[in-house]
Amino acid sequence: MNRLKADKSAFVPTKTGKKRHRLSRALICLSYFLVLFPLLILFVWSFTGRWSWPHLLPETFSARALGELFGGYSGAVQVLLSSILLSTAVALIAIAVSVPAARAIVLTAFWGKDFLKFIVLLPVIVPATAFAMGVHMLFIRVGLSDTVVGVILIHIILCLPYTVRIMSEVTAATGDRLEAQARVLGASPKKTLISITFPLAMPGIISAFCMAFIVSFSQYFVTLLIGGGTVTTYAMFMFPYIQSGDRTIAAAYSLLFVLSTLLVFIVLERRIKKYYNIEDVFFFS
Amino acid sequence: MSYSKLKICLMLLPLSILMAVFFIGLINGVMESFGVFPAAGLTKLTFSYYQEVFQDSGLTASLLLSLYISLTASVFAVAAGVLVSTAATVGGLARSKFFQIVKLPVIVPHTVCALLMLNLFSQSGLLARIAFQIGLIQNQEEFLSIMFDKNSFGIILAYLWKEIPFVILVVVTVMANINGSLGEAAQNLGASKWKVFINVTLPLCLPSIATSFIIIFAYSFGAYELPFLLGATQPKALPVQAYVEYIYPDLAHRPYAMVLNSIMIVFTVFISYFYYRLESRLKRTGGKNEPA
Repeated sequence: MNRLKADKSAFVPTKTGKKRHRLSRALICLSYFLVLFPLLILFVWSFTGRWSWPHLLPETFSARALGELFGGYSGAVQVLLSSILLSTAVALIAIAVSVPAARAIVLTAFWGKDFLKFIVLLPVIVPATAFAMGVHMLFIRVGLSDTVVGVILIHIILCLPYTVRIMSEVTAATGDRLEAQARVLGASPKKTLISITFPLAMPGIISAFCMAFIVSFSQYFVTLLIGGGTVTTYAMFMFPYIQSGDRTIAAAYSLLFVLSTLLVFIVLERRIKKYYNIEDVFFFS
Repeated sequence: MSYSKLKICLMLLPLSILMAVFFIGLINGVMESFGVFPAAGLTKLTFSYYQEVFQDSGLTASLLLSLYISLTASVFAVAAGVLVSTAATVGGLARSKFFQIVKLPVIVPHTVCALLMLNLFSQSGLLARIAFQIGLIQNQEEFLSIMFDKNSFGIILAYLWKEIPFVILVVVTVMANINGSLGEAAQNLGASKWKVFINVTLPLCLPSIATSFIIIFAYSFGAYELPFLLGATQPKALPVQAYVEYIYPDLAHRPYAMVLNSIMIVFTVFISYFYYRLESRLKRTGGKNEPA
């Protein structure tokens, strides 16, 4: 809020300045519209009974899609829940791997550091399709294909560029001086970890969790190939509906996907922010 | 604090193991493209698959299509994303709760993006209906075919809807931080608001902007979902074509898929290495304290 006021007072009301200001407002409003309008249409489609050409509004509404999702016969809810569980596990393991690695990368010097920093980026750069097809044969040989463990492993690898990067930035910003101080003042390593390291890293951990969760939760191709149809995630489950012509069902599945991701994030952020008393904006709430 | 060598190794061990799996996967794929594929009874190193694929004109068409899609999508996404971030920073909105709405598409998967675009831009979509209602067209078929067309507008639009917010997510916080701290200092020294923005804030944001560009470029070059759902039947984008070859019933056909994959791997690794060098240079010239 302070920054907002400072900006306004520093703002010189010249003619062009005013015009630019209005222009930037208009641009922001336009982007709100462009983001929300397609989602609004998705929402409307989810509850549509009949909406034939060339009507601008649906002719009839129906709760057919609600039955499909929550009626119990499609199994959508079970897949959704197990999918959320899988992606949560992926995100947590990715973070557990990234936190110590980021500390080593930022706080210490070792041989091959620049090389490591480069190759950690690669899973997000190299097409996941090419990686998945390459690793597929390998996984078949060691018995990891068609298993949940195999899918989790692949998802973790695809999350690492994000989680390592985010945790590195946070570690670089906080450093380890406070921890050193705590140790000097007599805190045990465990106590230092719980009351200094974790709270300091928490904003980064939340961002990293959100990013990893999205990467895993929306993964389609890789899960299809490595899971081989025996491991079904929600992203896979809804794919055939999107391909098919039934817009109402497809829209409802999509809407549920977006809403459940939002819910996971909001619950997580609320809880952790409250616990650690953080006020920054991370992702949404 | 000091860390022993052993401790550093332990801290990096899990990451190293996972990265090793990643590389073994890539190398395995590349080996298969050279015909080393024991599961199909192939063991001899050969360049023949490469020769065959390169002689086929289909490869060039797929490669050009993928390049066209990813370049167009990433250039426009970054331009628009930076523009919106600028507007938000200048308007002092970057931290407002309401502005976070703009980041919503980041959590929407590409498959759903495809559906959103179909709802709006297909020949039975809302835009076509509006065009009909105001008398621009007389029937569905007269509406521009945006989806499934050779010009790939549908794919590009879907990428833009999803990736512009990604650019904003990466850039806007950095931009607001720099403009807030250094910008105020420069303003106090008498520089005008826009001069500060162009000469101080924007150059310092370049690493983040470049990062978002390279991620979007590489992603849209190698992603399967959108070209599969919204692409024309011919030519197919590189990843889609690769999967078509991959699921060919005869296992001995698989090296062809791996040739396409290897082309994608080499291309993206090369680009990202170039980017990595550039980024380290940008960081060095752009000042030491790179914002978190």
